[in-house]
Amino acid sequence: MFYLAIKEILTIPTYNDPGTCRAGRVVIDHERCNGCGDCALICPGACLYVAGVGKDRKAYMIDKAVPDCMSCNDCAAICKRGAIRAEHGYDFGGFYKALHRAEMVPPRNF
Amino acid sequence: MTSTSVEEKKRGRKAGSGEMYTWHEGMDWNPVEKVILERRSVRKYRDEQVPEKLVRRVLEAGRFAPSAGNSQPWRFVVVRDRDMLDEMEKYVRLRCRVLKFMLDWESSPLGRLSWLLAQAYIRLMPNKLHPIPFGAIRLIADGKLKLFHGAPTVIFILEDVRGVSKPQVDIGICGQNMVLAAHSLGLGTCWVGFVELFKFGTKWKKKLGIGWPYRLIEAIALGYPVGRPDGMVARELHEIDWWEGGRKRTVF
Ligand SMILES: Cc1cc2nc3c(=O)[nH]c(=O)nc-3n(C[C@H](O)[C@H](O)[C@H](O)COP(=O)(O)O)c2cc1C
Repeated sequence: MFYLAIKEILTIPTYNDPGTCRAGRVVIDHERCNGCGDCALICPGACLYVAGVGKDRKAYMIDKAVPDCMSCNDCAAICKRGAIRAEHGYDFGGFYKALHRAEMVPPRNF
Repeated sequence: MTSTSVEEKKRGRKAGSGEMYTWHEGMDWNPVEKVILERRSVRKYRDEQVPEKLVRRVLEAGRFAPSAGNSQPWRFVVVRDRDMLDEMEKYVRLRCRVLKFMLDWESSPLGRLSWLLAQAYIRLMPNKLHPIPFGAIRLIADGKLKLFHGAPTVIFILEDVRGVSKPQVDIGICGQNMVLAAHSLGLGTCWVGFVELFKFGTKWKKKLGIGWPYRLIEAIALGYPVGRPDGMVARELHEIDWWEGGRKRTVF
């Protein structure tokens, strides 16, 4: 049973090439964000920062082709206002292609 | 139903309202599930030491972890000295800088050579140089990611390599026992895999007594979190093969 083609197994993605790599990505609801900066403080990938003054102080994701976001959602967990969440998991493709995954959902109490 | 203590209410962390040791469909999370599901890695700690007795209690949860053949192939080293932890942090950061210099083709003055080195090493160590830790090496080198995140107590877990079967699995189970106990007791934790870099040099191996048959596997940072980092989040569904009644189904 082969889950990856030979070509995929032999392809190591170029870590900084958005053409081959999909890093995690967060979406920030600026209506809800009050720029407290908790998310930026704890982001293990240093992907978040806050900018602006007063009411316009908001969190943003850094502008990088392949950010170090691993979709851990620790930003979502610490956010008091539910203003931030990871949109999708990471998939670096090739040898590291994500297998047998589907969309991100919270715990389900069956 | 579990009663909620005033202290828990004050901290805004109610125990799960589901009953223990029973299940009915759609019931609320019980307190154990709640701790499991709400545990998040904590990467910012208050500058306040954890009482010794509390750490001892957390270690007890580790001592009673299941292990293959009951071989209990672990040894704990607890470090609670700020100076020592800071020094370790510096030590690992320096090693990350060297790795970044050698392997990070985006920034390395070695240019093309670093690209070739990285390509070779990634193939030799596809897990350790997976894009995520590769990025983390850069972040630690640049001081953007901490090693222990300012935690006042760190538990190092050593593996007795003579353990039964697959001792590293037992280390993982033992560690997670402690992590979950810690969160249920109001602490925050973070696993720290980057202590792996202690092996590039003898200083900490000597000082922490890491020698055959012991091998350093992981560390767990322990302390009181800043803010409220714990909480349920969304994660990817994983496809599950489910064999029953002579045929296979796929569930998520
Ligand atoms: C074995 C292991 C090693 C880890 N090492 C690190 C580390 O060195 N630094 C860090 O910030 N997080 C580390 N983590 C934490 C993971 O990044 C974290 O568990 C993951 O992103 C999921 O997020 P959560 O723990 O908040 O659910 C480690 C986790 C595990 C299980």
